[in-house]
Amino acid sequence: MKVSPLDRKTSLSIFDRMLMMRYFEEAVLRLHQERQFASHFHLYIGQEATGAAVLEALGDKDLICTTHRNHGHLIGRGSDPGQTMAEILGRSSGLNRGRGGTLHASDPSRGFLSTSAIVGGCAGLATGAAFGIKTKRESNVAVGFFGDGSLEEGLVIESFNIAALWKLPVIYVCENNSAGAMGPQQGGYPTAITATDSFTRLPAAYGIHCVKVDGADIAAVYAAATEATQRCRAGQGPAFIEAFTVRWPGSSPLWPEPATVTDLNEAWDPARLKGPHVAWLRDHDPLLRTARDIVAHGYVSQDEVMAHDKDARARVEAGAAFAIESPMPLSETAHEHVFA
Amino acid sequence: MPVPRRCQNRRTSACTCMPNARNITYRSAVLEALAGEMRRDQNVILIGEDVGAAGGVFKQTDGLHAEFGEERVIDTPISEAGAFGLAIGAAMAGQRPVFEVMFGDFITLVMDQLVNQAAKVNYMSAGQFSVPLVLRTAVGIGANLGPQHSQSLHAWTAHIPGLKVVMPSTPADAKGLMTAAIRDDNPVVFFEDRMLYNVSGEVPQFEHVVPIGSAEVKRPGRDVSIIATSRMVHIALAAAELLAHENVSVEVVDPRSLVPLDIDTLVASVKKTSRAVVVDGGYRQYGVTGEIAATIAEEAFDWLDAPIMRVGGANVPIPFSKSIEPLMLPDAAKLAAIVAQLLHGTR
Amino acid sequence: MRHGRLEKADADEAAVNRVVLPPKDEAISLLRTMQLIRAFEEQVRSLFFGGIIPGLVHLCAGQEAVAVGVCSQLRTSDKIASNHRGHGHCLAKGADVRRLMAEIMGRRSGYGLGRGGSLHIFDVVNGNLGTNGIVGGGIPLAVGAAFSAKRNGRGDVAVCFFGDGALNQGLLFEAMNMAAIWRLPVVFVCENNGYGEFTASEHVTAGRDPKARGASFDIPSEAVDGMDVLAVREAARRGISRARAGEGPSFLVCTTYRYGGHHAGDKQEYKDTAEIEAWRQKDPIERLGRQLQDENLVTSKVIAALKGAVETEVREAVEFARAAPMPEPQDLGLHLYA
Repeated sequence: MKVSPLDRKTSLSIFDRMLMMRYFEEAVLRLHQERQFASHFHLYIGQEATGAAVLEALGDKDLICTTHRNHGHLIGRGSDPGQTMAEILGRSSGLNRGRGGTLHASDPSRGFLSTSAIVGGCAGLATGAAFGIKTKRESNVAVGFFGDGSLEEGLVIESFNIAALWKLPVIYVCENNSAGAMGPQQGGYPTAITATDSFTRLPAAYGIHCVKVDGADIAAVYAAATEATQRCRAGQGPAFIEAFTVRWPGSSPLWPEPATVTDLNEAWDPARLKGPHVAWLRDHDPLLRTARDIVAHGYVSQDEVMAHDKDARARVEAGAAFAIESPMPLSETAHEHVFA
Repeated sequence: MPVPRRCQNRRTSACTCMPNARNITYRSAVLEALAGEMRRDQNVILIGEDVGAAGGVFKQTDGLHAEFGEERVIDTPISEAGAFGLAIGAAMAGQRPVFEVMFGDFITLVMDQLVNQAAKVNYMSAGQFSVPLVLRTAVGIGANLGPQHSQSLHAWTAHIPGLKVVMPSTPADAKGLMTAAIRDDNPVVFFEDRMLYNVSGEVPQFEHVVPIGSAEVKRPGRDVSIIATSRMVHIALAAAELLAHENVSVEVVDPRSLVPLDIDTLVASVKKTSRAVVVDGGYRQYGVTGEIAATIAEEAFDWLDAPIMRVGGANVPIPFSKSIEPLMLPDAAKLAAIVAQLLHGTR
Repeated sequence: MRHGRLEKADADEAAVNRVVLPPKDEAISLLRTMQLIRAFEEQVRSLFFGGIIPGLVHLCAGQEAVAVGVCSQLRTSDKIASNHRGHGHCLAKGADVRRLMAEIMGRRSGYGLGRGGSLHIFDVVNGNLGTNGIVGGGIPLAVGAAFSAKRNGRGDVAVCFFGDGALNQGLLFEAMNMAAIWRLPVVFVCENNGYGEFTASEHVTAGRDPKARGASFDIPSEAVDGMDVLAVREAARRGISRARAGEGPSFLVCTTYRYGGHHAGDKQEYKDTAEIEAWRQKDPIERLGRQLQDENLVTSKVIAALKGAVETEVREAVEFARAAPMPEPQDLGLHLYA
């Protein structure tokens, strides 16, 4: 697969998505600490490059399935930060009117189907969406985002078989953030409970086109996603992309911890890096890396980057404020939408 | 011989209390049962997701991996159906697995193996093979976990001949029923409410067995019987306290096991009080309250002074938001009001 | 349990293709058991069309070599899990022909007191965890039995039999993954007869090669001629030895053929007769018979005598079963619980 350097417009578009994703998640963490909502939740910090680059490669009519780790995909796709945050806070102005919460936030107006929090669930839904697309003879694609854990679920494998058999236009994006997943060179997944040394062998056994990429490299992810969408639209069948990211230090089983706080100035001034996770920030934070890269390419100056940064922060803050001000659902509405 | 202490919980009027009892949490009580049985019987093993090194997502298996090692405390991939099938096969071959389904909602993923294999093997093989395993799972509304992480689908499992189903409400019952479940040669489904994990109660320190299929009167009374399951027992007890201030004497009966159901104890209570309210935390439609209410009606119709009332979870997917999630189940005040309505002849 | 991937198995091309002739007694036993299965299935078919057998039966005539070749390498204490097409597995694992026939007829003298029927035959004495009505349902049971065998440390193994239809069951994938990471002593045996019910396998199974599904976990996976009992026997010996030696699971994809339909009443409109005839040319019983005659281990008279003997045995089983009592109403609730 050929990886071309990205042009300015694409790079900045991806970068803007990443900024929104990052500041949104930091706001979610803050609001949880302020007890604005309860529940377990899962943040997309450290994975922004993958989601943003894939989403950049999609068209408006393409369909998306995601998992319990959905905030990044929604915000990156352009879902309203206020409505998304309101959903996480359980407010009636939320994307799902407070019924789904963080685990099930979804935005049909932007092509999201129902968000399942059952591991592996989205593979089935994405495959079905692709089936619908093919049946209607559309040229759209369906994308299923899921993590490495999903590849332990039998349902995902059953989906691979069907998608390959019927040449469905579905792209499976496996965001491998398992601790120690250091990329294709090293092989193996120390923290996954799997017997395979390479996840791509699983879909490959069904004849599915497979690619591995560095999930923090926006050009590589964009190239893989573009190739996959072109194949799908040309009727060549499904694709599987395994994108590796190094797990954010704040990830933890039940509730994330505020391990890092983003300061883009650290991208070009490493002396500013501090705290217990300097190594992660310096070597693996995709946001800092992308900021460095777009400046190095001459697409923007550091000052311009900080202007984008300020803009994203402001939009997220406005969304958070909207959410906090929003009313809770009324008791009388509790039984609505049980049936169509 | 230790002198029996006065019962702190007002469990029954004939309570002889529990020797060597001390106050521990529900979570610890189940853990004690597991550890005790694993020490007693080498064939007992624990299988589930994150039950080993992590000690359980709610710390419900904490310490077992350290004591019994990776040979007996096994972390599986996220492959519920396959792993539960493995547990059934291991049981047929001589192990005594305790299989954990992380959230009660995920019981859907093991349903085929549970219903079509585990429940039927003893029957189909005419007793050649038994399936001595426990399927434990945590349920419970109240942590804003949303529609796919809050359900209690115990009614589904109670519907299947060949399974036994238990739902302990107190730490002592939790320890006693887990012990009994592990020792039972049949597949037992053990539902624990995670909202009870931090609730404390008196629990015997040493071996403690509560027979499967035995109900218990948790609070004696004269005017009305509230038959409640799992966490609803605590709601019922709190409602009883409220009603006591209005000179209403409520008897709270805890079935403890759904299958087999101790009908005799439930019926004896209703024959005494002549009124019954059945309260359960699953969805109301086609739920446990229907089965219990109909059974009481069949057995004690002539003793009833009023129709049996049923209180269950609202018939909606459990919403995430804090303002409407609590509407799924009654609190003590709401339940007391419902009972009061029953007593005053209005509905 | 320790996590770990298996080391890639050495490809021994010569071993895969070499056919080893067993000693005479064993060879005759292989032949006899295949004949027994064939005779048994023919009787069951005839009884089914005679209205004697309730429900449905799924017959394995044509596939005998896989059951016999694999089970010839198993001890009584080893476990098998079978599927809906399981009479051959049961017989090859030592089932009593009369009790088997009685169960299929729903009689009280059968293995399950008549309440299981063809789809639910269990035989604890011979380590048979049961035929199964759920496609793929027995696979994790065998893996669980292997888990137990590993704990017991007596060197027992487990085998699961399933068809090409089960290749697409997520349960197989999950079971293989766990068997591999925990190095469980289990052999996965796929009887690839080209059809899942009424649908040709190639219409529902993606990927060029089913072996890849095991190989993606580094499980040693072989393609085997399932119409050649000696080839099956050799491949099974390799897999079972590996399992007993603590080296973990193996996967055998045995290409075979069922002469009959998915179930006995299936008219097989999806097959053409030329295809059935072509496969009959590869009949496993005829083939072994020819091989043994070529080696002067048996004569055609001996083969005929064996056939006669098994047909008599099966006829006697039918008489036993037909004379056996039906279950009584009071039997209904027996064995609900242990």
